[in-house]
Amino acid sequence: MNRISEIFLKELVVEFRQKYALGGIFLFSATIVFLVYKVFNQVSGLEWSIMLWIITLFAGLNAIVKSFVQEKKETYLYYYCLFDPLELITAKLIYNILFLGLLFISILIFMSLFLGFPVKDPALFFMGSSLGLTGIAIILTFVSLIANSEQSGSTLMSVLSIPLILPIMMLLLKITAVSLRLISDTSVDQDVWMLAGIDAIMLGTVIVLFPFLWRS
Amino acid sequence: MIQKGMWWKLSGIILFLYVLWGGMTIPLRPGITSINPSSAKTGDTIELKATGYNTHFASVRNGRAWLKLDSVHAIKALNWQSENNNEVTFRFILPQTLPNATEVFPLHLIIDNETDGAFVHPNALFLSSSTDTLSFDAIPWTKHELGQFNDHQGIQFPYRSILNETIRNTFFHVALWFAMFLLLIFGVVYSIRYLSTSDYEFDRKASAYTNIAVLYGIFGILTGSVWAKFTWNTFWTNDVKLNMTAIALLIYLAYIILRGMNYDQDKRARLAAIYNIFAFIALIPLVFVIPRMTDSLHPGNGGNPALGGEDLDHTLRMFFYPSILALFLIGKWIAELTIRFERVKDHFYLKKS
Repeated sequence: MNRISEIFLKELVVEFRQKYALGGIFLFSATIVFLVYKVFNQVSGLEWSIMLWIITLFAGLNAIVKSFVQEKKETYLYYYCLFDPLELITAKLIYNILFLGLLFISILIFMSLFLGFPVKDPALFFMGSSLGLTGIAIILTFVSLIANSEQSGSTLMSVLSIPLILPIMMLLLKITAVSLRLISDTSVDQDVWMLAGIDAIMLGTVIVLFPFLWRS
Repeated sequence: MIQKGMWWKLSGIILFLYVLWGGMTIPLRPGITSINPSSAKTGDTIELKATGYNTHFASVRNGRAWLKLDSVHAIKALNWQSENNNEVTFRFILPQTLPNATEVFPLHLIIDNETDGAFVHPNALFLSSSTDTLSFDAIPWTKHELGQFNDHQGIQFPYRSILNETIRNTFFHVALWFAMFLLLIFGVVYSIRYLSTSDYEFDRKASAYTNIAVLYGIFGILTGSVWAKFTWNTFWTNDVKLNMTAIALLIYLAYIILRGMNYDQDKRARLAAIYNIFAFIALIPLVFVIPRMTDSLHPGNGGNPALGGEDLDHTLRMFFYPSILALFLIGKWIAELTIRFERVKDHFYLKKS
């Protein structure tokens, strides 16, 4: 536990050392939100929910690509001697989930600034969003592990991760639509559970498979 | 002459030829395509004209017909008059009274003769009361005994309205999905074995099986698309199963791209194996859970019947299960050829360097 928090803190320090990259991601999301605002001018609930998730997806893709790509081969070898793979992946996952959450909240703030905040059922919205973001972060972390140390890393990353994220995205859009009262669905709880189930399956698989990935 | 390991390839081909022959030549059971008129009032005498499919109305002996209300109430047709094999006219004298107090009754038409056997057209005629005051009396409805039905001769596929002749696609469209899933299971098992042994042979096998499964998936989409054009009148709908298969195919196409990357062999094999396992696990909620939670036009969802009852009766089963086996064996054969080619290629490169 202690070591997990140490790795977590190390990630944080590394991230803050590269202030430009970090600022770049937040600026990217702000710019896109502003672009959407200027393109649409008036945004309906449906468009709001779609744009929110599309922006989050692509900003997250940009952000998490570098979670394993940014580090050098030598650093990896160093980690390999130092940490247990389970501790490393746990710390990375926690870091990426929190980072994606932060990114999502900042996008949400930008969006409500420019385009309003049409959510009618915040409890459901944040519940569904946090579960969905967890799933997206897990998949992105996993795929960034596969796509690392390769020049075409980011292309491969989007090719590999977007199909895997699609089912989560569909559930998320439905939950968001319900929480915006765009559609009414009495079985939305089932979707939330489904999302939690997908998260659990993905998490288990990543933890089981990580040691094999780690050996390189 | 026959080499070792050849029997399953041959049996795959023979089974597939058997499915092709049987699935394409065996006729459908006779059925009714349309009824005129479709509604009547009590006390009427109606001339009910039925248009049939694969029927032999003009040449039958001992043809009979009933309008059936439920298990005890039915009325018999007075005559059997047909000009050609596909058209027949019955005269029914509808009783003055209804058997119990309901405003509109759906009546089912049962036709029975010695050539075609007995068949039913459900909800053929809607019967409503001619008077405002509902009087009911079951006696005129109960005196017509249904008696013994004739059985149809030989093997015939069930006649289902809307599906009609396209029911034969069951042997190809549905069987392709089953075979695809079997091949995917083989692929993922070989991926797991690669991870535990680091033997490139398992990597080649996993890749070959997954590739052929993707090919089957594409064929499955194409056959399904054609089927949908004839039954749902569109090539692609917003149906949950279609969306999920599209996603699944995208995931596996990404696998093929990953497998084709220019990594060194060890790394490529390991990444591909890991991604394959992950993709397979991600596929389970996609294929088995989400479609069951949502309504779909497919059988087995949203109240539609699934593989059972009259949709997959014993005549269809005679070809459906062999078709799965045949497609699986042919897929295994293609995969085997790919594996051998890859093995030779790897061997050649190793020698050269």
